[in-house]
Amino acid sequence: MFTTINRLINDVKCVVRIPQRLLNPSRGAKINRRKQTQEDDWKKRNKTVLTYIAAAGVGMIGLSYASVPLYRLYCQATGLGGAAVAGHDTEQVETMKPIRDRVIKVTFNADTHASMQWNFRPQQSEIYLVPGETALAFYRAKNPTDKPVIGISTYNVVPFDAGQYFNKIQCFCFEEQRLNPHEEVDMPVFFYIDPEFDEDPRMARVDTITLSYTFFEAKEGQRLPIPGYS
Amino acid sequence: MSTAMNFGTKSFRPRAPDKGSFPLDHFGECKTFKEIYMRCLRSNRFDNSRCREESKEYLECRMDRQLMAKEPLEKLGFKDLVDDSKKEKEAKS
Repeated sequence: MFTTINRLINDVKCVVRIPQRLLNPSRGAKINRRKQTQEDDWKKRNKTVLTYIAAAGVGMIGLSYASVPLYRLYCQATGLGGAAVAGHDTEQVETMKPIRDRVIKVTFNADTHASMQWNFRPQQSEIYLVPGETALAFYRAKNPTDKPVIGISTYNVVPFDAGQYFNKIQCFCFEEQRLNPHEEVDMPVFFYIDPEFDEDPRMARVDTITLSYTFFEAKEGQRLPIPGYS
Repeated sequence: MSTAMNFGTKSFRPRAPDKGSFPLDHFGECKTFKEIYMRCLRSNRFDNSRCREESKEYLECRMDRQLMAKEPLEKLGFKDLVDDSKKEKEAKS
């Protein structure tokens, strides 16, 4: 009907102008409906996107909680254990190459607990060695009392960060050592410094490492737990 | 060191030795080897690389007298010394 009016207007060139919106109501309605569905579409898309984002957020939080037991499983499977930082492996001793141009001084310190009556001291104050080379050092312990004394020792390495590169092949720590009255023994420590020490930028200015042993008196039947991953 | 109870500081974690603990040499069976090694260290200004032969001999003494588990010397980091002695033997024969 409106098209006929349009034609009439064009024919008669009437002044009355009917707005385009009314002339083509079907097109307007279509546009409105399209706009409506578009908005609906956008709303739906927004909702789905928001749901995905929320799910991802919840997933991240869940993953951070799950990572603790997962990492533990991974450590047990790959055997990195407590030394996961610079996991040295015992096969490395055979194949490592000493790094000749990096000389490190290792100083030795010996302590006893206040109630421990042994005389415990290192037999050398320092040793100069290079990473990748195995070295032997001696401590001496004497029991001046008239009774057998059982001692147990632990050690410490300074600087702390260098401790991860300090590998002991064999020593006298963490196990009970019994000294008879007036007995004096030599206690060796066989160790090496991991060649990767040379490549660590944090160790670039470290020239001296101090190894410090402390002896405690052990009560009968007491056992220090061997440190490690358990 | 590990008594500084600061939140977030890593404390020192001592590690068990790879091959366990040396049994004590109560009878001083390897004392002579130890003396030789210490004398070598003192005369070489405590330079470890000059006294490796002596340390190898001390460990061999321990192994011979059941004071240490027997291990091939390569596994103890003495591969270069073992190779050198092998080369010498080959050169002689």
